[in-house]
Amino acid sequence: MLRVRQRALMRQRINRGLVYLLAILICLWVLAPIWFIASMALTTPETVRTFPKGVLPFIPFSFDTMEFFLTSQGIIPGLINSIVVALITLVLSTVIAAPAGYAISRYIFPGRDFYRLSILAVRAFPVVILAIPLAVVFINVGIYDSVYSLALMHTALTLPTTVLVIGSVFASIPYELEEAAQVYGCTPLQAFRTVVLPLVAPGIAASAIFTFVMSWNEVFAASILTVRNRTLPAQVLATLNQSSEPYQFAGGFFMMIPALIFIFFIRRYLFNMWGQISK
Amino acid sequence: MKKRPNLTPYWLILPSVIYLALFFAWPMVQALRLAVWDSDARLQLRAEASLDSGVTDWLPRGAPVEILERQGNVVSPEELGQANLRTEVWFYVRAEGANGQEVEGWVPETRVRVRETDADGTPIRGTIRPRIGGSDPLTAVYAEPSSVGEVVARIESNTAVAIERQTILELWYRVRGERDGATVEGWAPSRYVQVFGDDVRGRIDRGDAGELTLRYLRSMVNDRFFWPAFWTTLLLMAIIIPVQFILAIIMALIIQQQLRGNTFFLYVFAIALGVSELAVGIVWYAIFTQNGYLNSILVSLGWLSAPIPYLTANTRHWIIIAIWLAEIWRATAIVMVIVVAGLQAISQEILEAADLFGANLWNRLRYVILPMLKPSLQVALILRTILALQVFAVVIALSGGDVVTVLANEAYRQYYTLRNVNVAAAYAALILLLSMFSAVVYLRMVRSQEEVQG
Repeated sequence: MLRVRQRALMRQRINRGLVYLLAILICLWVLAPIWFIASMALTTPETVRTFPKGVLPFIPFSFDTMEFFLTSQGIIPGLINSIVVALITLVLSTVIAAPAGYAISRYIFPGRDFYRLSILAVRAFPVVILAIPLAVVFINVGIYDSVYSLALMHTALTLPTTVLVIGSVFASIPYELEEAAQVYGCTPLQAFRTVVLPLVAPGIAASAIFTFVMSWNEVFAASILTVRNRTLPAQVLATLNQSSEPYQFAGGFFMMIPALIFIFFIRRYLFNMWGQISK
Repeated sequence: MKKRPNLTPYWLILPSVIYLALFFAWPMVQALRLAVWDSDARLQLRAEASLDSGVTDWLPRGAPVEILERQGNVVSPEELGQANLRTEVWFYVRAEGANGQEVEGWVPETRVRVRETDADGTPIRGTIRPRIGGSDPLTAVYAEPSSVGEVVARIESNTAVAIERQTILELWYRVRGERDGATVEGWAPSRYVQVFGDDVRGRIDRGDAGELTLRYLRSMVNDRFFWPAFWTTLLLMAIIIPVQFILAIIMALIIQQQLRGNTFFLYVFAIALGVSELAVGIVWYAIFTQNGYLNSILVSLGWLSAPIPYLTANTRHWIIIAIWLAEIWRATAIVMVIVVAGLQAISQEILEAADLFGANLWNRLRYVILPMLKPSLQVALILRTILALQVFAVVIALSGGDVVTVLANEAYRQYYTLRNVNVAAAYAALILLLSMFSAVVYLRMVRSQEEVQG
């Protein structure tokens, strides 16, 4: 019996080790390309062109390549445009989505399921189908090639995800807390402001961050809807075939930085983005 | 769940409904319309030279026409710059008639020789031009700037006139042409008609009304890049998605194990979720370019004597492989997140019960986990397929967009490079139809399986 238990424990330990090994291998698969691009972005342009390439710490560490990229034509304006578009998208998305998220998490009303299914359907639809007719509309209305029209487009792309995330954030706060606050004399609005809002603020912040990242990353609609006022990805894409490798690698790494930072902060909320809102 | 007043939830969702109707539903309809509607295919012909006049017939764009008559009509200043648009100018004049009476009204600009202008060039004085060869030497003065209007006076030639103001009219033509073998005739603004040198013959340059057309769809299908893009898109979907699902399920099961360092693994596994498609393309270009990391590693290890060019027109299969790897790297995270959410919804007791009965991992996966994950896998499969149809920047980064091309890249090229908005919309509509088709197929597959089991 002791031997049987020992064998079972041994097998369990081996299984555990295999799972760890698998996890580490997948981490390497994810992290190696990031390491490669980072090492090319944080060295000298001459090193980028050498062959065979080394990796940190086997190459000189330098900001020359990043500086070369950031001082290239169109990059700083593109960066500013990207930030402006992403911030407008963040605000619009969150302001429109928060009441909708509250509605689907707190109320059971006719049409609720249809609304939620519509949101999921919108979430899945191709950006290609929206960008081209919106370009035609914006040209006719006179707001084509503007960060504001692009922000309107990005808000349409990010609104469904934002509604679902904020909805799940509200759903995770028991309604009984609001009721308890009202028992102690608060009005519904006071109960919401003093009890629910502090609890959901981190979740809404995470949702806003993800909205920012989605807008920051978006490249197809930005390429269609801007010409002179390009965002950073649209600028990099437009010049990709004529640009040097140091420029491309620095651009790729620079565009990746917000993802590396923000995903770290919002990873706890990732599972709410596509799953069913449980209630 | 406490009951609340009926209308509150509708007020709360109203902003998002309005927004998505304006910026999602309506553009989607417009995309389909752009693909099949030729908005200036026909020129409407009217009984009289006036927009208020009824439309009596029409001619197709490109039809040759004979110009029978001309007449001016009102036009707004913003429209004056349009191609082909011809104008006539009328002056409002004041003069002393032959019998000493004061005369005022509208006269065509062609009947007045301007003698004096003010500081900014506006005519203020002139004389009536002589009529040469006409039976009537007097010039008609009209109540309105229209040669079919009421004549209020006639002025002798060389009479001095004060020019008080002017107006610009668009010329309308009465044209005659043929359609379906029959002769049609009517009035149309000059902006739509290209007039040839003899001023009598011309052609319909563009129309003012639309019609259904397959022209753009035919242009799309006949484009030499269409079928390569179509098949490449489908091929990439077919080879990317199965690998992604296997990898995503493995990653999800690892997360579910709650290992020490689980939050780190979750972070790393999810990084790609937030990375731009373009950045991913550049990353994998850094790996596969001739002086890139793959060649560097292989040469450093001594497995290669010289670098291999992977991303050239002669090594198309390597470009496909590079895109395949880049997409697996980039888009597996979204599937993993959905699967983890699905796993979290499975009762832990069920999994423990399966473990208790001695089921090994493979049997647990096959008989317990996968069946219960089916709804999540369905959602993930639909989402992933639709996202795969839109792959765009990765392809451009790795191939330049011409050696290997995909449908989204063709939509971009038609719009941005070739300026064919309608053909670009046709590509967009095709992507939409493929998306809806795949979603319906997946939903039907899962439902039929459930019916068999039930």
